[in-house]
Amino acid sequence: MDKIQNTYRVISNERLCAHFWRLTFDAPQLAQEVQPGQFVHIRTADGLEPLFRRPFSIYRAQRYVEILYEPIGPGTRLLAVKQKGDSLDVLGPLGTGFKMPPERTKQVVMIAGGIGVAPMLILTDILKKKKYELILLYGGRTRGHVYPMKEFKDSGVKVYISTDDGSVGSKGRVSVLFDKVHFNPLTTFIYTCGPNPMIKGVQEFAAKHNIGGQASCEEIMACGLGACLGCSIETKHGYRTVCYDGPAFDLEEVIFY
Amino acid sequence: MNLSVKIANVTFQNPVTVASGTFGHAEKYYNLKEVRKLGAIVPKTVTFYPQVGNPPVRIWETPSGMINAIGIENPGIDGFIQAKLPNFKKIGVPLIISILGHNPQEFVGIVEKLNNVILSEAKDLKESLDSSAYRPQNDRMGGIAAIELNLSCPNLQHKTLVAQDTQATQEIVKQIKTISKFPVIAKLSPNVTDIGEIALAAEAGGADAISLINTFTAMSIDIKTRQSRIGNFTGGLSGPAIRPIALAMVHQVYKSVKIPVIGMGGIANADDALEFMIAGATMVAVGTMNFVNPRAPLDVLEGITSYMKENKIADIKEIIGSLKE
Ligand SMILES: Cc1cc2nc3c(=O)[nH]c(=O)nc-3n(C[C@H](O)[C@H](O)[C@H](O)COP(=O)(O)OP(=O)(O)OC[C@H]3O[C@@H](n4cnc5c(N)ncnc54)[C@H](O)[C@@H]3O)c2cc1C
Ligand SMILES: Cc1cc2nc3c(=O)[nH]c(=O)nc-3n(C[C@H](O)[C@H](O)[C@H](O)COP(=O)(O)O)c2cc1C
Ligand code: FES
Repeated sequence: MDKIQNTYRVISNERLCAHFWRLTFDAPQLAQEVQPGQFVHIRTADGLEPLFRRPFSIYRAQRYVEILYEPIGPGTRLLAVKQKGDSLDVLGPLGTGFKMPPERTKQVVMIAGGIGVAPMLILTDILKKKKYELILLYGGRTRGHVYPMKEFKDSGVKVYISTDDGSVGSKGRVSVLFDKVHFNPLTTFIYTCGPNPMIKGVQEFAAKHNIGGQASCEEIMACGLGACLGCSIETKHGYRTVCYDGPAFDLEEVIFY
Repeated sequence: MNLSVKIANVTFQNPVTVASGTFGHAEKYYNLKEVRKLGAIVPKTVTFYPQVGNPPVRIWETPSGMINAIGIENPGIDGFIQAKLPNFKKIGVPLIISILGHNPQEFVGIVEKLNNVILSEAKDLKESLDSSAYRPQNDRMGGIAAIELNLSCPNLQHKTLVAQDTQATQEIVKQIKTISKFPVIAKLSPNVTDIGEIALAAEAGGADAISLINTFTAMSIDIKTRQSRIGNFTGGLSGPAIRPIALAMVHQVYKSVKIPVIGMGGIANADDALEFMIAGATMVAVGTMNFVNPRAPLDVLEGITSYMKENKIADIKEIIGSLKE
């Protein structure tokens, strides 16, 4: 009954590194409408296991729509076996994407943990049209969570990498990269996406240095449409749904425990 | 081919509806032309005062089902009438308003406010309420076709749910029936020993129909932290996992009462819905499966239509309760 439910054809599904895959599908209308930070809700199973759709940020929308994903459970593993020509049941584009940086912004710092890097490329594609200094701080767990990130570099983004074990880039969490950047409270704007503890860390750092930003949050979802009120998170304005009011929120707005 | 069904004096164009709490998303997403094909729409339960809902995590996926503990997040009856009802009315499908009071006074308060919706809109209330057929084009009805009492609410003296107590069920239904300008549907909880008895009590209280089932009390535990995965500790199980039990309960209630039954519990497609209708349901509602396949209610409707064609059934009433024993 929804305008946004469609079946699309898979164009390709390839492994980019040990842990990350990229799925490309043909959805011209979706590609045109999507805003950075919005997501698609994909039915991974034909039957009832797993029951729920799975949400994925849109990684890129050019001729085709791309998602970047990490097989970690039943739903994402079913995605990994999709092949060229298979059909894909997709709801989207869904949710409220990233706000654009305020007028005075000169430097945009994207801080991503693991698969949280996914919404940053479509964001880069929009932001590179303006004259921002673009920086990506990326924290992966291991070498297997790091892929070439050529698309970022080709777009003029300065990429800094950390891994927990130091196998690539600096050793430690993404926060070890903060001193690579000269943050400026007036002219820096942050975008962040990753596990909640990471976002919480970025939030504390940004608050201390008085820097504004946006965070893309996660919660388990059923409908993805704002109907079930199942994906609520706590914000300074009360409960808000990640799927409809978010996934992108003002960085200081989200409350973590 | 006649697909229309009746509850009290209200005629619905077909028997397919949605379960409370599973439909109600933004207008910008849905295709109005398709939503208009539904027999009725049931919005999320409304309480007297606004409720913010339960702390996260509110939902958990289970084998062929889900646990939810949303906590009836809703804007309260005033907020609903002002902000939500006008949009639901625009759809142009009869509305069944699900309500819950934490005590009888709250139930009465909500119903009085809903009565006022038509009182304020109807120039000639008597006429529109007496007319046998619901007319969506007739705005004077306020779009409200019936009230559904969510009886999974506290039964204050007994520390149970109203829906777990025959006497409390009968009393609250009776109280609402004396004041409601709308037909009254009693929605039952499956967390009982004998659901037939509860249905009989609702009928004795004057209910115009019974809807069932609501969710089964359920849990899921994170073995790493040894804590419940649900913010509210327990939640309610729904989805295809509960369907066979729901079907048995619908049949049991159909055999116990004379009033129409609205059946739900894990319905995913027309075959599932037909099972419920053959077991005795006059209407069928799609709940959890809306989240998986937003087209499910329409698939159900289309599938029922083709089943009737294939089996040369002229009137849907030939299916209802046609189970052979
Ligand atoms: C708005 C949004 C955007 C996302 N974008 C991406 C993306 O671009 N790429 C990507 O790989 N993943 C993304 N995710 C996470 C992705 O949805 C989950 O990894 C996926 O649902 C896991 O499903 P599964 O069946 O493979 O594993 P499961 O076994 O279901 O889950 C594995 C783990 O992931 C957690 N999980 C399950 N569902 C979700 C969910 N909806 N959100 C967060 N955690 C969940 C579970 O609690 C469990 O710990 C996003 C999530 C959200 C909410
Ligand atoms: C997320 C969610 C929210 C629900 N909210 C309500 C509610 O507000 N009022 C109500 O009467 N039932 C509510 N229900 C119960 C459903 O209306 C239905 O009775 C039950 O889920 C069984 O049907 P299903 O298996 O098709 O979902 C809710 C169910 C779910 C899954
Ligand atoms: S997943 Fe249903 S409201 Fe967000």
